[in-house]
Amino acid sequence: MNRKRFVVFMMFIDFLLIVSGCNRSKETDANKGKDREVVVGLVSEPDSVDIHRTSSTGEANIPLYDTLLKLDNDGNIVPNLITDYEVIGDGKEVIFNLKEDAVFHSGKPVNAEAVKLSFERLISSSPFSTNAGDIDSIEVLSDYSFKITWKDQFAPFFINATTPFLAPLDVSVLNGEGEGFEKNPSGSGPLKLVKINRGDSLVYEPYKDFNWESQKPGFDSVKFRFIPDEETRILEFKKGNVDVLLNVPYQYIEDLEKDSEVTIKRVQSDTLSYLGWNNKQPIFQDVKVRQALALAIDRESIIDNTLNGEAQAVFGPLPKTVFGYSEKIETMARDKYTRDIDAAKKLLAEAGWNETNKDGVVMKDGKEFSVELWVDDDPANQRAAQVIQNQLMEIGVKINIAVKESATIIEQTPKGVHEMLLWSYGWPDADVLNFLLFGKDKSKRLHYENEKIYSILDKAAIEMDQEDRSKLYEEAQEMLVEESPFIPLYVKENVTAIRNFESFDVHPINNTIEWTSVKVKE
Amino acid sequence: MSSYLFKRMFTMIITIFGVSVLVFMIIHLIPGNPVNHILGDYATEESIKELEMRLGLDRPILVQYFSYMFQAIQGDLGTSYITGYTVVEEILNRIPITAQLALYSIIFGSITGIIIGVVAAVKKNTIYDQLAMVLALIGISAPGFWIALFLILLFSYQLSIFPISGYSGFYSLILPSITLGLGTAGSIARMTRSSMLDVIKQDYIRTAKAKGAGSYRLIFRHSLQNAIIPVVTLIGMQFGYLMAGAVVTETVFALPGLGSLIVSAISTRDIPTVQGLLLFMAAMIIIVNFVVDLLYTKLDPRIQYE
Repeated sequence: MNRKRFVVFMMFIDFLLIVSGCNRSKETDANKGKDREVVVGLVSEPDSVDIHRTSSTGEANIPLYDTLLKLDNDGNIVPNLITDYEVIGDGKEVIFNLKEDAVFHSGKPVNAEAVKLSFERLISSSPFSTNAGDIDSIEVLSDYSFKITWKDQFAPFFINATTPFLAPLDVSVLNGEGEGFEKNPSGSGPLKLVKINRGDSLVYEPYKDFNWESQKPGFDSVKFRFIPDEETRILEFKKGNVDVLLNVPYQYIEDLEKDSEVTIKRVQSDTLSYLGWNNKQPIFQDVKVRQALALAIDRESIIDNTLNGEAQAVFGPLPKTVFGYSEKIETMARDKYTRDIDAAKKLLAEAGWNETNKDGVVMKDGKEFSVELWVDDDPANQRAAQVIQNQLMEIGVKINIAVKESATIIEQTPKGVHEMLLWSYGWPDADVLNFLLFGKDKSKRLHYENEKIYSILDKAAIEMDQEDRSKLYEEAQEMLVEESPFIPLYVKENVTAIRNFESFDVHPINNTIEWTSVKVKE
Repeated sequence: MSSYLFKRMFTMIITIFGVSVLVFMIIHLIPGNPVNHILGDYATEESIKELEMRLGLDRPILVQYFSYMFQAIQGDLGTSYITGYTVVEEILNRIPITAQLALYSIIFGSITGIIIGVVAAVKKNTIYDQLAMVLALIGISAPGFWIALFLILLFSYQLSIFPISGYSGFYSLILPSITLGLGTAGSIARMTRSSMLDVIKQDYIRTAKAKGAGSYRLIFRHSLQNAIIPVVTLIGMQFGYLMAGAVVTETVFALPGLGSLIVSAISTRDIPTVQGLLLFMAAMIIIVNFVVDLLYTKLDPRIQYE
């Protein structure tokens, strides 16, 4: 390189630096954004904004949709797009009436025809079509009235209709192949999509024709930013570039609480973490063994050591926010399974595990009680697995922890190749006991078989009277507490950190931001 | 030259074909499948079968491979099972960021590495040499996420010079490029030093010195130009390293590039996206190395391809 070329090269470097300076000032301006822009920091981007395609609903795609029914703050099902409904005869037919002023983001009305077309697309293309039940026909009775006929009664429909999976969307925006919603979405929720920056952010504006409960929207735009790294996300919030930080990692809560400008909102999650096992494995066949394991667990210690105390211990099969929860069952389970090492050891001895080897592991017929515990790569879950390992070792049960990717656990556990797993479930209705945990041929992770429980859960799924249904679930849960086919552990607190808001609410049951309540500080 | 080009093109096609087989095998061998991810906990046996049929996953593996390759040859890398976007669309959306990141990292790594390497060689066995080699070692061995967080804390959080994360033009790529380029700089510094030390010992350098060549001319004209060939080879090879490093860097800096896309595609077992991206990245690495080979003839006229 001669001197002349060197000089040219240095000029090029100078040019880059000047360009970078220009970009910086642009960036500073861009960061200011609109006056009342709300920036929400999220871990990951939803797979899709199309509710009939995605498997991941979250804050970034839920506000596109308004639901047919909704849950009030006490967890009761109340009207939303549907104003009222009438159950006909044995409950296989239900007539629904829609409110007449709801409008899709495309400007078209949310009428019976639109709901029918939306259900037809849901049934034909959504992986979550089972949430609608086994529908025989949907009939449009008038502009704002329709009738659904099921092949069998389907009681969970009403609670499922409070989720965005069954929310109507405007199918008229779809192309000939039934696709295209991804780029031109139209629901009837509080936020209207403005721009998709794949991998980076989703930008929304408040939808003017949404029912803002006699107020004007308290913000001009919302930007959901996807920041996968925990440290980066926290720094963006502390620096003021993010206004709402969802799912604050527990180790940072104390630090954020010291900041007088920051408000921390806590809402109990509806996702129950549990210690489960493959009930088909011979080692877990004896109920005394299962009860002994439950008696060895100290939930408070797990919560304090792994979640900084940000969770509530749960002893019964359902958490408080789920329909079918029973205070009586929770108390009964708490009384029965509050930690008692002596009682646990006694039960193990009665089950034949009465020898102990030099490492302190109990043995039966020369074989030690040693099982593998599968846990996903979430650091908090891994810490919880270590605490459980220590607690079970106190009764002589040896746990070998195996960290696996979630995708692997999801695929492998239905095959029954696992022994024990630390996992969770979240669904607003007790039917989850049937379709996911203990129903006939549906017990994918726990592989539990009990004809009596099958029969009760099947009855509950078609019982249209909510009180009778609740009683059936109570009966099933009582049996589950006695049988101990898994150990419910805790529900985490969903912690949200916010800054610069006059008002900002999170729904206490379904944990979503209530956009009608959001008002940015002027 | 033309027969050389023909031969290289042929081996490139064979290599890409080999990569496609390997990628296809690996993605189908690892546990977990996209159907389970899409349907999640609430899937029924019928819905699993139906979705497998819809996605074509019920066909024999060889049929799936050949049908994929037949479409790939025509430029169709398939459609993501998860997002509904075509893989080509996803790549085109994100390639500008990763390409810029790789380019700036290579520029930063090469300039810094060559300067440090030259200083170390010229000042051999002095404190400058030792300091330069310690710096190079730090560049090579410090983990990317650690460097990234250190740079963010200092330059973005404390000094407010750069944005913390996200993409907003060239300025937002400076810290990621430094993060990614430091490892490259370390390797290039070490290679430049050893290559320069070999050249400095040569007779023609002594002759040039005896003829009164100035130190600037001696170092840059006579030594560095002759020592640069192995360094250029290394720069070409670093491209693969940069692609791998981009995965971590893009995640920490929340950049919507190919690296972050591949992380999410693997975790959701989005087979078309993973296959398409790996195939694309492999093709890029092969092409860059091919270009580097061609560059030799420009850098050193003695090298001719027959």
